[in-house]
Amino acid sequence: MAMERELLRHLVKKPATIIYPFESPEPIEGTRAKVEIDILKCIGCGTCIHDCPAYALEMVGKGLTCDMKWYPGRCVFCGQCVESCPRNAIKQTAEHDLATTESVESAGMMSERFVEFNRPKKE
Amino acid sequence: MIIEILKLLIIPGIFFLFTLALFYQWLDRRFLARLQNRRGPMHTGSHGTLQPLADFIKLLAKEDIEPEAVDKPVFRGVPILLSTISITALFFIPIWGVKAFVHFEGDLIFMTFLMTLIAILAFLGGWSSTNRFSTIGGLRAAMQTLGYEVPLSLAFIGPAIVAKSLSISKIVEWQASTGIWAIILNPLGFGIAIIALLAELEKVPFDLPEAETELVAGWQTEFSGRKLALLRFAFDLELVLAAGLITSLFLGGPAGPFYNIPWVGVIWFFIKTTIVVLILSNLRGLFARFRIDQMVSGCWKYLVPLAIIQIIFLQLVLG
Amino acid sequence: MSNSTYKVPIGPQHPALKEPENFLLTVDGEEIIDVKIRLGYVHRGGEKAFENRTYVQGLYLIERVCGICAMAHQLCYVNNLEPMMDVEAPPRAQYIRTIVAELERVHSHLLWLGVAAHEIGFDTLFMYCWRDREVSLDLMEMITGNRVLHAANTIGGVRRDLTADMISKTRKGIALLKKRTEYYKKLVLAEKTILKRALGVGILSTKDAAELCAVGPTARASNVKKDVRKDDPYSAYDEIPFNLITYDLCDVASRVLVRVDELIESANIIEYSLDHLPTGPIGVRAPRSIPPGENVSIVEAPRGEDIHYCKSNGTDKPERYKVRAPTLGNWASMAKMLIGGYVADVPITLAAIDPCMSCTDRVAFIDANSGKNWIWSTEQIKKYSKKNGGR
Repeated sequence: MAMERELLRHLVKKPATIIYPFESPEPIEGTRAKVEIDILKCIGCGTCIHDCPAYALEMVGKGLTCDMKWYPGRCVFCGQCVESCPRNAIKQTAEHDLATTESVESAGMMSERFVEFNRPKKE
Repeated sequence: MIIEILKLLIIPGIFFLFTLALFYQWLDRRFLARLQNRRGPMHTGSHGTLQPLADFIKLLAKEDIEPEAVDKPVFRGVPILLSTISITALFFIPIWGVKAFVHFEGDLIFMTFLMTLIAILAFLGGWSSTNRFSTIGGLRAAMQTLGYEVPLSLAFIGPAIVAKSLSISKIVEWQASTGIWAIILNPLGFGIAIIALLAELEKVPFDLPEAETELVAGWQTEFSGRKLALLRFAFDLELVLAAGLITSLFLGGPAGPFYNIPWVGVIWFFIKTTIVVLILSNLRGLFARFRIDQMVSGCWKYLVPLAIIQIIFLQLVLG
Repeated sequence: MSNSTYKVPIGPQHPALKEPENFLLTVDGEEIIDVKIRLGYVHRGGEKAFENRTYVQGLYLIERVCGICAMAHQLCYVNNLEPMMDVEAPPRAQYIRTIVAELERVHSHLLWLGVAAHEIGFDTLFMYCWRDREVSLDLMEMITGNRVLHAANTIGGVRRDLTADMISKTRKGIALLKKRTEYYKKLVLAEKTILKRALGVGILSTKDAAELCAVGPTARASNVKKDVRKDDPYSAYDEIPFNLITYDLCDVASRVLVRVDELIESANIIEYSLDHLPTGPIGVRAPRSIPPGENVSIVEAPRGEDIHYCKSNGTDKPERYKVRAPTLGNWASMAKMLIGGYVADVPITLAAIDPCMSCTDRVAFIDANSGKNWIWSTEQIKKYSKKNGGR
């Protein structure tokens, strides 16, 4: 019976649970979430790809003309790429709602979806 | 005749009891959730009131798996019998007025018999499943009966002595006519009945037969689909039965100001049972689960002597 | 075996177990007379994976050994590699590591308290504990960037500095947690139903605990004074005063009390570290490859001592990386605790060592009859599995 008072105290308290899709928790500054690459700063050195523990980054092309791909399904959001980049071209935003409602042919495809960062091509 | 049938089917009959059972399940879940700083069911219906109904319908629609090794007749019979017995027992509870739908001298004894039958059915359900967890769960259900049955019956005797009748309806009638609720003379009996009914309902701290972390779902492990829906429905009915019994025997049933006017009695009954359900769910959140040996020995060590003291006290007072 | 005994399998799938593991109990009525533990259901090939990854990539793989003691494993990893690379993390980094490691202990012990309460059917305490655990998770998200799998360390330092704002928020959070922990301690000592299930259950005597090499809170609850933070201080623990908590009841209640007291002690350590946080850089540059050599490091994870061994060969990938997660040290004493107890006490006794099964699972091929062991390649395993009806 040692808990009775605590129980009754919680009866008038607001529940700790958040009704997630209708209200979201306060974002905490500095959360590691979506990876964004500023392709114009990228020099195509490949350090991020070499360091990525989850093999979630891919380079198309070479050096100054390369394009980057980021696979959110494989990413473990450790932020090593941000640290490895010698030109600060990669940054992580706090945007964590990365799930989509787009249909995917099969569940296995999840890790194969990617976000492309394309360099504007000169005409 | 037609009125009788309507009464049986709608109010205070099957339809009313069905609604009440689902409502009390919701109330129990919601209240416990709030005590635990959670929200509980909230999406189906207003504040989740329709969630128990949705669960019931969903379970009815689910695949009904019957393992090969089960003893089929018993396994199929248990859920049906369990819900029928619960409904039958509920007809002895005076809801509409001071007279129950069915009543005869000695129906309190019949009621205890039905409640024992419920525990025996739990044992049979576990035994017929032939699953190890079910078997142990069933055995525990039977074992638990040994613990709570005697104090429960002794606690029921208290109001019967006060009203000098073994009929639930008579006891309620006596309380309504004299205006004295049996709880005033039976405070100990009331507490014992609440504790013993917690065991009967297999709720924490006496949820040993279905202890989730020990026995999966205990004796209900193998039940699925329609059978599980019926089982769960039977539990909800049992909750109504327990609350109704406590209300009738100790809290005066539908008695209260203006209870003779139609509907007012039902409202009194409803308020009182709601309070009992809230007490039961509060107790659910308050304890850790006992072990089976602790439960049985605790019942005999504390509840039985207290119940006997209660009866001796009554004899002395009423002389 | 007489006819009165009966075999009850607990696991691999069982609600009392959060991870798959098999315990075959031989019971007589409700009493347990023998236990067989079978491990290896969630072997993940982690140690082999290290050999294909660079030391930087390994930094994040090591966290995946255990989600709950992620920081302890990573700390052990960097402590292991730093001497081999001949770098040393600056004092401020050491203090931040200590703070995060202790926050993780708070989160792990609160999680454990909740699980233990759930095992004995006390769901209200479970809900409260997990709600309060959110505070420590939020603090860790603020300090490191992630709730679990913090990725706080890098070789030669930490990755994020503590700002003044973070320090004040951490202080506030820790004060709240301390208050709640003190309430839980009071509750555990006052609530009869908890004591009924915990006192005298799962007895592991001091002698057995020492002989069977129990680790962490399990050993300390059996009055074995054993804590890596005291015995072989790493990070900033040699500069921080704290008490080594032991209880001598040797049962589940004792394990609960050790953990609850450690929660308060952890809060004190965090407060002390925040007060005495040195200034300076938070990291130094580390080389990418390590000259040939080997090293062992030990860290006190929330569940006990965590031992890592690394063998390098001059490249940027290890030749061998071995992890001994704390739970492995407790399996032998586990069997001892279960025998003689009741079936109803199995979940709480199991939970009392705070087992983390997938951290522990390794695979070895042994012929049980002859005791012969051997090694198979992937191809051979596939062939064997195909032969036996696998796909």
